[in-house]
Amino acid sequence: MADLQERKIKDAQMRATINQKLVETGERERLKELLRTRLVECGWRDQLKAHCKDIVQQKGLEHVTVDDLVAEITPKGRALVPDNVKKELLQRIRTFLSQQSNI
Amino acid sequence: MSVHGCQHLSAFKAAKGTDPFRIIYSYFIACPSADARRIKAKSCVCHTCRQPTLRLHACMYCIYFGCYGAKHIHEHAKSKKHNLAIDLTYGTVICFSCEDYVYDKDLEDIARSFSQKPSLNLVSEYLKDPFSSWEPSEDELQLLKKNPKRRKVDAKSTVGLRGLINLGNTCFMNCIVQALTHTPILRDFFLADRHTCQMPGESKQCLVCEMARLFQEFYSGICTPHIPYKLLHLVWTNARHLAGYEQQDAHEFLIAALDVLHRHCKGTNGMSCSNPHLCNCIIDQIFTGGLQSDVTCKQCNNVSTTIDPIWDISLDLGPGPPAFSSHSTPSPGGTGFTNSPGNYEPTSLLECLKRFTRPEHLGSSAKIKCGKCHCYQESTKQLTMKKLPVVACFHLKRFEHSTGYHKKISTFVSFPDELDMTPFMSSSRNDNNGFSNQIIQDMPTSLSCDNKYSLFAVVNHCGTIEVGHYTCYIRLHKDQWFKCDDHMITKATITEVLNSEGYLLFYHKQILEYE
Ligand SMILES: [Zn+2]
Ligand SMILES: [Zn+2]
Ligand SMILES: [Zn+2]
Ligand SMILES: [Zn+2]
Ligand SMILES: [Zn+2]
Ligand SMILES: [Zn+2]
Repeated sequence: MADLQERKIKDAQMRATINQKLVETGERERLKELLRTRLVECGWRDQLKAHCKDIVQQKGLEHVTVDDLVAEITPKGRALVPDNVKKELLQRIRTFLSQQSNI
Repeated sequence: MSVHGCQHLSAFKAAKGTDPFRIIYSYFIACPSADARRIKAKSCVCHTCRQPTLRLHACMYCIYFGCYGAKHIHEHAKSKKHNLAIDLTYGTVICFSCEDYVYDKDLEDIARSFSQKPSLNLVSEYLKDPFSSWEPSEDELQLLKKNPKRRKVDAKSTVGLRGLINLGNTCFMNCIVQALTHTPILRDFFLADRHTCQMPGESKQCLVCEMARLFQEFYSGICTPHIPYKLLHLVWTNARHLAGYEQQDAHEFLIAALDVLHRHCKGTNGMSCSNPHLCNCIIDQIFTGGLQSDVTCKQCNNVSTTIDPIWDISLDLGPGPPAFSSHSTPSPGGTGFTNSPGNYEPTSLLECLKRFTRPEHLGSSAKIKCGKCHCYQESTKQLTMKKLPVVACFHLKRFEHSTGYHKKISTFVSFPDELDMTPFMSSSRNDNNGFSNQIIQDMPTSLSCDNKYSLFAVVNHCGTIEVGHYTCYIRLHKDQWFKCDDHMITKATITEVLNSEGYLLFYHKQILEYE
């Protein structure tokens, strides 16, 4: 039990450190832009946009909040991200981390 | 959802102006400097649970960051009656009284002013053109109002398919037009209306403008076959050797068309476009690759390297030397080149490429002056790809024109729908003995998709060298294939495509790099 607790704390610390590195170096913004570009290229953005439009049209603009939209499209959005996009992002993050000496 | 702010935001702006927004935006969202990023990295955690969460919000009234997921920002808004907060990821404002995000023109303009300062924009170091969604200009809004009809393109729509009338043996042109109009990145260029004519006053003579019109024709939704006489006329006047109503070679037409297009683009970097290394016209951006040639002196092992721009890769068919020099030991259980030297015939695109990039011994009759020994020596020459083009066009040399005879090679050459060019890159070349790893199947498939290509068009020639006919397979969307036979377009399967007697194979890169 103590081990598990300890590991959880360690993981959280590691996550915080990595996040800090990503923000500090600007890598996070670059990754975000790369992801955005890939999702536009593969049609993901258009698909989700069309889906959002359908929802808004169905319910009427006045009766939809951003939270509603997010809740409804998130599962679909996650499922539609192509595997090779995920792989590329993962690869970039790995490369980035391997270049950081002090993690 | 409100597109025009809300009374709470209006009241806030009236009392405190837009400075609180501007300050938070510049320090925690735009982050122009390394210092700002360091501060952001340290301070962007929820003040309640101390987690660096994805949807962190900053209160607009006081210094408080709270997470959205665990509703800490909601709690803060309620207990302190601070009803406005900024999403630190996107810079949008949420009003907790209205319980939704609100959009405000003034604040959006401020946000835009940050992202438009290129020197401050981190992303632009990496991407020339960071993505921004399209916002119609006044003119475009007028046009949209005047033309209320909309067409929705989904996975099933066949917009973009259009037959082409044969103007008397012009199937060689029709198949190239089909391949070009279905080249994804070329289509994006033309449908986005990106050509600025460089031939003012005579844009009727501009082949690029004609291509733009052609794309309009193809994507207009009209299904009746199009008559490409204007295009034919323009190519004839600009590439005289193709004029006349005889059957021409589709490959020759492709290269001529690319050349005329490139000349009419005239580049925009102010460089002379006689040097395709420097040309940045859309044709060169898409089709130009770099072919590296390494000549090694047999005497002193000195290597002299040159790199030439190419628009296509022409591959030899028919009997020839094996893909690798005879002294290289074949790896056990390798795919093997069982054909005896001199009698080896490639039967796949990969084998053609292996032969194309093999080190070739230039015999005693072809001595080259070595830059180091300063005299004529025997040498070895090897070609590799230094730079891969966005669209790779492979030309299988099925037509042999030698003195005295003309012959067509109809051997079946298989080709994949996904191609990895990594083994043929200059970077895979080993300095002394050609490739370090000679059997492609044994090579670890590269983790990244950087050198991977997808097939999107195949030009076929059927018949003999005297009487023949060109047709073309093209890909629509991600996986739907169609056969274009002049004015006739029929559905096809990928199996049919891969079993066809390919003459020109068009592949596009799966992933585009941004410089
Ligand atoms: Zn929290
Ligand atoms: Zn507050
Ligand atoms: Zn409100
Ligand atoms: Zn023009
Ligand atoms: Zn050019
Ligand atoms: Zn030498």
